[in-house]
This record gives sequence, C-alpha cells and structure tokens, in this order.
Amino acid sequence: MLTCKELVGRSSDLLDGELKFKQRLAVAAHLAVCLRCRRFIRQLRLSQRVIRQLPEADVAELDALLKAMQAFRRDHH
Amino acid sequence: MTDEQDLIQRLLAGEQGAYRQLVSTYQGAMRAVATAIVGIANAEEVVQESWLAVVRNLNGFAARSSLKTWLLTITANTAKSRLRKQRREVLLDDLTGPHGSIDDRRFASDGHWAGELPLWHSDSPEALLDEQALRDCLEHTLNSLSELQRSVLLLRERQGLELTDICNLLDISHSNVRVLLHRARLSVFATLEHFEVTGEC
Ligand SMILES: [Zn+2]
Repeated sequence: MLTCKELVGRSSDLLDGELKFKQRLAVAAHLAVCLRCRRFIRQLRLSQRVIRQLPEADVAELDALLKAMQAFRRDHH
Repeated sequence: MTDEQDLIQRLLAGEQGAYRQLVSTYQGAMRAVATAIVGIANAEEVVQESWLAVVRNLNGFAARSSLKTWLLTITANTAKSRLRKQRREVLLDDLTGPHGSIDDRRFASDGHWAGELPLWHSDSPEALLDEQALRDCLEHTLNSLSELQRSVLLLRERQGLELTDICNLLDISHSNVRVLLHRARLSVFATLEHFEVTGEC
C-alpha cells in the first residue's frame, strides 16, 4: 500500500494525468481510505485554481509598446 | 472565421485595438517564457524584441499552429539567441517559498501524515483571493521561487500549456519539468495553508 508521503510525491503527476495505469490504481486505492490525503489533493487542486485566478500584472508601458509595434510594421511593409 | 483568424485579419489591417488585444492577452505567457530562459532582469527586453519579431513576421503566420504556440516559439527563440553560448545550467535548485513546502517533517516514520491537515475555509478560489493580504502573500511566494520554477508554474497553471510544450519551449526534459512544477505547487500549497491557519503572511 502506498504511504501518504508517497502519495504526496505523486500528487502533481496525478493532477497532470502523468500516472501510469497501475500507479493510478494505487493512488485511487489509497485515496479511498485516507481522509487526509483526499483533503490534500482537493486543496492542491484548489491552489491550482487560485494561481489561475490570481490577477496578472498589467503590461508596463503598453501604449509605448503598441506605438513601437505599429511604427515597426509600417517600416517593414 | 475563428476568433483567432479574425484577430489576425485585424492585425494585418493595422487595427490599433487588435494590437492592444494581442499584447494584453499574450504578454504574460511571453514574459514567463522569457524569464525562464534569460532571467527576470532581461525578460522585459526580450519580450519587447519578440513583439517586434511578431509584427515583422505576421504575414508569414500560417495557422498551422495556434497563435499562442507561434508567439511563444518566437519568444523562446529570441530569448535563446540572446543567451548565445552562455546557456545557464538548468538547476533543479531547491528554492522553496517563504512558507516552506510539504516536506518530510510533515510525515511520521511510517509515511503517514504526522498531524492534522488543516481544512481551508473555502472551496472557492474567488473567496480565498478576496483578501488582498493573501493575494500579496501569493505574489511574494511566486517571487521567492526560482525564475524557472515560477515560469513553469505559470505556464502550466495560468496559461494551460501542456508539459510537452513547456519542455520544447524551454529545452528542459520532461522529468525536470515535472520536478519543477511539483516543487512550485507544494510551495504555493504551503503558503495557502499557512495563511489559512495564521491569517497572515
Ligand atoms: Zn494518505
């Protein structure tokens, strides 16, 4: 049986669908009986979504960049 | 016509709003790629240079790949040419965030959790991110990761790139991408957990 520590070690591969069939079974078997690991995986997925939704920094000097791009395009075509 | 083709047509027509949309949509992903390859200090310059290369080659964009893949390939190539010979080693450095990781100390000698795993107060990212202090705290954690770790995390989680695409863009092996991503995720997890438990960063 997989230990909790081993499960945590494979958790990213689980999220990314990188586990082989047998590994997936072992992980599923562990999760079926381990409340803490179920909570860990649920909160790991939640932290993934948190990063996805964390606001991105604005583009610095956007207008200057846009001007440069358009001028550059005029010069090259 | 797809949204992407529509955007390209408007770019080719020189429409200003289209340029603005292009840059706002893809600058973050390009910055992450550039940072992974040349480091944060040179990333902004590489991104600017990449945008000019994009503009120069716009007519040659054949929708064989997605627009995003095309933009990120240009960025990676621009960054790599900047590096010339002095390619940095891909260091699987062990930089973790300010709140550590989920490391050996969390487990008993038999491999089971040594203590309780705190339950977070909400299941919704919006509710968690509602607190400015947590948003700042997460930024702080991201900035404490190595440039490569942070970039891999952002490309995967925020930009939704496949692991294979990340490998190809950054010239790092599949197993290294997996290690970098895993460590970055555990650092983020540790920060969220710390914040949930203590209410501060
Ligand atoms: Zn467990």
